[in-house]
Amino acid sequence: MAVVPIAEIFLRAVFHTGIFAAASIVQHLGLAVAMIGGAVAAREDRLLTISAIKSLFDGRNGRVASFLANGLGACVCALLVAAGIGFVAAERSAGNILAYGVPAWWVQALLPAGFALIAWRLVARIAPGALARAAMLGLAVLLVGLTQALPAIPQWILVPALAIIAIGALLGMPLFAVLAGAALLLFWHQGLPLASIAVDHYGTVVNPTLPAIPLFTLAGYLMAESGAPRRLVEVFDAIFGSSRGGPAIVTVLACTFFTSFTGASGATVLALGGLVMPLLISSGYSQRSALGLATSAGLPGTLLMPALPLILYAIVAGVDIRDMFLAGLLPSILMASIVIAWGIHIRPNHLNRPAAFDWHRVRVAIGAAKWELSVPLVAMLSLASGIATPVESAALTALYVFIVTVVVRRDLHFRHDAPRVAAECGLIVGGILLVMGVALGLTDVLVDAQVPERIVGWASAAGGDRYLFLLGLNLVLLAAGCVIEIYPAIIVLAPLVTPLGKAFGVDPVHLGVIFLANMELGYLTPLVGLNLFFASYRFGKPVGEIFRSVLPVFAALAAGVLVITYVPWLSLALLSSR
Amino acid sequence: QETVRVKLGTLAPKGSVYHRVLQEMGEAFRASNAAGSAFTIYTDGSQGSEADVVRRMRIGQLNAAMITAVGLTEIDPSAGVLQKMPLLFRSWEEVEYVSQALRPEIERRFLEKGFVVVLWAEAGWVRFFCKEPAAHPSDLKGRRMFAWAGDSEQVNMMQALGYRPVVLETADIIPGLQTGLVDAVPVTPTWALATQLDRLAPNMIDLRWAPIVGALVFTRKSWDSMTPAARDALRRSAPHAAKALHEHQIRADAEAITAMQKRGLLVLRPSPEQAAAWQEVAQRTYPMIRGHTVPAATFDEALRLVAEYRSPGRRPERTGP
Ligand code: NA
Ligand code: NA
Repeated sequence: MAVVPIAEIFLRAVFHTGIFAAASIVQHLGLAVAMIGGAVAAREDRLLTISAIKSLFDGRNGRVASFLANGLGACVCALLVAAGIGFVAAERSAGNILAYGVPAWWVQALLPAGFALIAWRLVARIAPGALARAAMLGLAVLLVGLTQALPAIPQWILVPALAIIAIGALLGMPLFAVLAGAALLLFWHQGLPLASIAVDHYGTVVNPTLPAIPLFTLAGYLMAESGAPRRLVEVFDAIFGSSRGGPAIVTVLACTFFTSFTGASGATVLALGGLVMPLLISSGYSQRSALGLATSAGLPGTLLMPALPLILYAIVAGVDIRDMFLAGLLPSILMASIVIAWGIHIRPNHLNRPAAFDWHRVRVAIGAAKWELSVPLVAMLSLASGIATPVESAALTALYVFIVTVVVRRDLHFRHDAPRVAAECGLIVGGILLVMGVALGLTDVLVDAQVPERIVGWASAAGGDRYLFLLGLNLVLLAAGCVIEIYPAIIVLAPLVTPLGKAFGVDPVHLGVIFLANMELGYLTPLVGLNLFFASYRFGKPVGEIFRSVLPVFAALAAGVLVITYVPWLSLALLSSR
Repeated sequence: QETVRVKLGTLAPKGSVYHRVLQEMGEAFRASNAAGSAFTIYTDGSQGSEADVVRRMRIGQLNAAMITAVGLTEIDPSAGVLQKMPLLFRSWEEVEYVSQALRPEIERRFLEKGFVVVLWAEAGWVRFFCKEPAAHPSDLKGRRMFAWAGDSEQVNMMQALGYRPVVLETADIIPGLQTGLVDAVPVTPTWALATQLDRLAPNMIDLRWAPIVGALVFTRKSWDSMTPAARDALRRSAPHAAKALHEHQIRADAEAITAMQKRGLLVLRPSPEQAAAWQEVAQRTYPMIRGHTVPAATFDEALRLVAEYRSPGRRPERTGP
């Protein structure tokens, strides 16, 4: 996947050409990654789920919960297969060619095939016997037949069916199946073709900028698995470790920096958590304070260039990437200051002060980490110099990190580690793309019912107060952040929010920063705050305990989000055009 | 009498002349159908790109669309003849003359693919916007020229002509101009005005490279499910709508150029020699388009019709929309 865009940059630079239909090829690789990665995640029982409640069940209750959750998931998958087949049949009749004479529908067929594979994995988990599998299969066929026989379901079926999906979600039904199930029911209720969700899924995963996600994620994972985190922490420790509240500053800066190029502060928790926790604890921080800091320290990086959420938002909402980069700078500094201030506030009375500032140690640390420190430069410069598009820049960054970790540093072994990391990354990305694809189905239902238009009309009729709108936006986005991850949220909500912002005269770039700041906070919210889960997994602590540890900083960051929302200057000061 | 629900997707902005015209047609449609019939217009690309809109029509989620040749060629490549042949036309009269003659064949092909064309419309001429002044085709050699991702024939063509196409998505045009990834972009003046592209590429070559041609299409399934009265109402309101759109777009290009000139756009009018050089470049693309981008028979017919229009012996009657 990284190869095609890089070859494209090279060819364009050297021969002034480019690969024939390169974009089209990479885009459809995105479809392959989503479906294959999703199927592997299903096999490994690693599909993203909404709820952690399932971990509360054990023994017989656990088996019942798993049976219901996976059974419901398999039913939704069966409907998705039917929807996918409907879509592919329509596309096949159109007879369009992808590239090099390959009909588009051959590749599009990956969509129902992938869902079929996922359905099979879900069934295999809960129904080991042949008879049980046959029964599940029969149920699925019955459901598909029902959708064929019944053009639309009435309200009295819709509401209980949605309730069943909600219960399934609590019992640990895969997130993509929850979203797809809800979207399918709503489509069915509206009398719309179920194949609509397949068109949405296809349109999302072949989005031309989407390949930037797996590529940047791969770069982040390679970094995380290498010696880079240790070297980066050493740099910041050498510089700031001896100052007042030093360990907190080191933790926040190292995690923010790391997040800015992985774009996912969850990955930062996994990669740096093991390094900053001992640092904080040995300096005298309590277990709970250290947990809270380590879990939240990477958040400001989401707004710091060249973080992927900034790029994705810019593209989805149609604003300039460089504007988003500049606009995110001061807000990310504000958020980092908040976390640092909290870290200093909760510092232990008897801070075990490390050695005094040492220039030699700083020079050695920077020298040792020079390859890693220059990763953001690769991403930034390739974008800013006009060499590469965002996707190509992501590919270049992934290649650079690959060379640094495998060839230069030899932290990772080419045959043993690199494929393992790539597979792990594919699994995670596949799970995320799966969710993103079906999430657009829900947007589609809203667009079909003209919900955004109606809100704009209603809001302008109600006087159109900008501050009221911003407050409502904060509440909605925070609620959204509780149930949706940042990337699907951008894909689903940004197109809905953009026209609203326009109607209320909110600058589109400022709106983007507000959006991302809210979503960033969502990483820490209960139920689905991803960082809580990553931290729970990394530090072996229950999610509840992690949440209690971040509660104070969550409140402080929420205040920061309000400042970012109501002080547009923070976002727009660095933009010369405004 | 049954209620009929029509859902129409378009990239045209809410409140634009295209939207207003569609709303008027929707009124005519509703008036001649059973009470409760609906005509919903989804503007601003809320149903996705033109390719997405066509996909949604194929599965029956949407029943109609107002789209340009970019989407129309997803239905049948013959629709590309009006928009994808550079410098074929000198004026709207020529476009009108040729498309009038070619429409029956294109519409027949569309019908075979399950689509009914109700109205043809135009949306301005594509011109080159450049970062640096340029008037002769050789001035653009070595410049990085934007080419649409998904239009591989166009890329091949530009390479064969010795240009440097940079394949990007529409969303990447503005960032691409800012970072220097591209420095020449072929778009319509109205689009340039709306996206403020002229601030980044303040030189416009005043050469009508190609017209943007669009159509209002219905799926055959929804068309057949309507009452004859509704079909009739739509057909009858079509000429009026086409006339309104035609009159608008003739003004719109000129107004957009004037507005951009006020904020610093430089309009470069090619001299007769430069224009001839451009014509020569365009001629070289034709063998690459014929049989690839545009079906050979449609292509030949278009050339024949242009020649016919221009032949002094046969002064064709004025064909209005
Ligand atoms: Na959409
Ligand atoms: Na297209």
